[in-house]
Amino acid sequence: MTRRPTHTSRYLKSFLPILVVVAACAAPAPSISSSGNMSVGQGSEAQIARGRFLAISSDCGGCHGGGANPAAAEWLNGRRRPEQLQAFKVGPFLTRPRNLTPDNTTGLGRFSERQIFNALRFGLRPGETPDVEITSTTPGQGNFPLHPKYLAPPMPWPSWRHMPDQDLWAIAAYLKHGLKPVSHRVEDSEGPPDFWASEYTVEKIGPHPAVPFPTANEKGQR
Amino acid sequence: MAHRLSIVALLALSGSLVGVSSPLETDGTSRSRVDGPRSGDWVGPARFVNISKLPKTVEVSLTASVVTLSLMPGVKSEVFAYNGQTPGPTLDVREGDHVIVHFKNDLPEPTTVHWHGIHLPFDSDGSPYHPIAPGATHEYEFTVPAGTAGTYWYHPHPDHRTGFAIGKGLYGGIIVRSADDPLPASMPEKFLILSDNRFLQDGALDFPHPQSHHGIADESNGREGNVMFVNGEVMPTIAIRSGEVQRWRVVNASAGRIYRLSLSGHTFLHVGSDGGLFEKPIEVKEILLTTGERVELLVRGSDAPGAKSVLQTLPYDRYVPQTRPADWETTRDLLTLQTTNDAPVTPVTIPSSLRQITPLDTAKVTAVRTVVFSQGLINGKTMDMARVDVSTKVGATEIWEIENVVGMDHPFHLHGFQFQVLDRDGVPEKYRAWKDMLNIPKHSTARIIVRYDDFPGKWMFHCHILDHEDHGMMGVLEVK
Repeated sequence: MTRRPTHTSRYLKSFLPILVVVAACAAPAPSISSSGNMSVGQGSEAQIARGRFLAISSDCGGCHGGGANPAAAEWLNGRRRPEQLQAFKVGPFLTRPRNLTPDNTTGLGRFSERQIFNALRFGLRPGETPDVEITSTTPGQGNFPLHPKYLAPPMPWPSWRHMPDQDLWAIAAYLKHGLKPVSHRVEDSEGPPDFWASEYTVEKIGPHPAVPFPTANEKGQR
Repeated sequence: MAHRLSIVALLALSGSLVGVSSPLETDGTSRSRVDGPRSGDWVGPARFVNISKLPKTVEVSLTASVVTLSLMPGVKSEVFAYNGQTPGPTLDVREGDHVIVHFKNDLPEPTTVHWHGIHLPFDSDGSPYHPIAPGATHEYEFTVPAGTAGTYWYHPHPDHRTGFAIGKGLYGGIIVRSADDPLPASMPEKFLILSDNRFLQDGALDFPHPQSHHGIADESNGREGNVMFVNGEVMPTIAIRSGEVQRWRVVNASAGRIYRLSLSGHTFLHVGSDGGLFEKPIEVKEILLTTGERVELLVRGSDAPGAKSVLQTLPYDRYVPQTRPADWETTRDLLTLQTTNDAPVTPVTIPSSLRQITPLDTAKVTAVRTVVFSQGLINGKTMDMARVDVSTKVGATEIWEIENVVGMDHPFHLHGFQFQVLDRDGVPEKYRAWKDMLNIPKHSTARIIVRYDDFPGKWMFHCHILDHEDHGMMGVLEVK
């Protein structure tokens, strides 16, 4: 039985046509802190349950394995069934969904909850971004990397970054402490060396937090 | 946009003998050279002149400066050189020798001299903690410990500039000899330092802007060149007599390239690594030589008189797909092994046992350290010289578990102390060796054991892809 991630084509379309590769920087946005320090410890039962709910309902499994079923053998470990796409073609590039289980050498086991938080909030690759609290989205300021290395599309972090801090910390806690490690090595994605910086400007993905309600598309309260 | 020189044109210009007849090998006086026992057969970069008359003392002068040289025939390049040459002079010493190096920095930037792999006092390690300003001098001084006979090298290790300085030409070899070497003294010895480089059309070395396409690729891969050098020469020739057995000491001085060495029609006898000889020879078809690493190989002249073989480096995929070079699958020629027309000789007998290596005692381990390599980071951090990452005591024995959690190889280097490999991905190491370099392949783990003998100080451990090291993939081990 094939289950194709329903949102994938939408995200792919949003990145087509691809892409003038320039060394662009993410534009300044309001200062956002990743503090709140919900990352300490092994994660409470309630936090892990919240993270599990968010992982299921945000369709992490649609790409990273297992669909909406945490009992599936592929659940978030980067395995895809033979009948599924093995990699997402994004323009001329390939994106391969990672193993999100806490295995040390093939998964997220050696990344901190803060690095996972920074991936979900800022789109920064945990393997290439220091384990520090980020307080700005201006490159070179507030620990935001001068030359940010971004997750490849179609990872929908530009949408998920709008979740409240405690929800992103809950997802990180669930991945680190609510899953069993699965050793499964996924080859890296293939993309341009600037790791999509030119796609993640504020003009293209909007600011965080989002502009105040109502915008021109929205009805204000009368 | 600058153009790069054609490799075809370079190869057409090549063909010289390695390292012979350098005018720098003698200084025109009667002072003795630092020669090994095999000076008649020496092939390698010219050796230092020993200015000391004291027994068991080697005293040399070393100056780093900017010079214009032909790295390739007919092409002038501005390089950094040690004593006017690249590679720098070879330091050829014996266990127990007291070494004094009068160093002068005539470069326009701070530098250091790191004696890679040598067990020596912290203030002579030439780490970023001890920079030498432009115009300044420094005396490096150390005694070569017993039991450390092997192949080493020296190179700059300044903060953030190591890759640039080595790429500009600052590297040289070290041989430490023992009084009771088990290999026959009659065996001809070749000292081969491998490097690669890249040139602009005007002959200048190609160091691109960090945010250019090539600059980003260099930061990810380590700067790779399209021109391969052995002892600073392109495609040199080594002569061998049919039946002869040669001892090759090979150093990888490249910033990022990992060599997968193969000699057509031959196998190697792999007899040693960073810290000297193994316990016994191992016959192999190819050798994986990571950055900063050394091997000792026995090469047998098994070809007929007049025949040629080529030492090559075969493709090795150490890269992430994002920056894997388009030509990574190219096999590259390094040197020609030319069998002479002389009548074959009877091969010497190679001892089946080389030496005993005492294993470090796992029962004495007082700490197990976890060192996580990701892309440009160690344990999620970049280098901070004001921070101590691992704190320990002189004489302690520890295990380091080094985990590479990303999709690219990272070569591990520890300063000051040689270690032994226990296992890789849980598979016990097949043979015992003293190491200071260990390649940690993508998504894999290795465990090493080390004892911090003799010397307190702040010692670096880092990825030896020089561009990674320079971008902060380095930590500090403080031994008190």
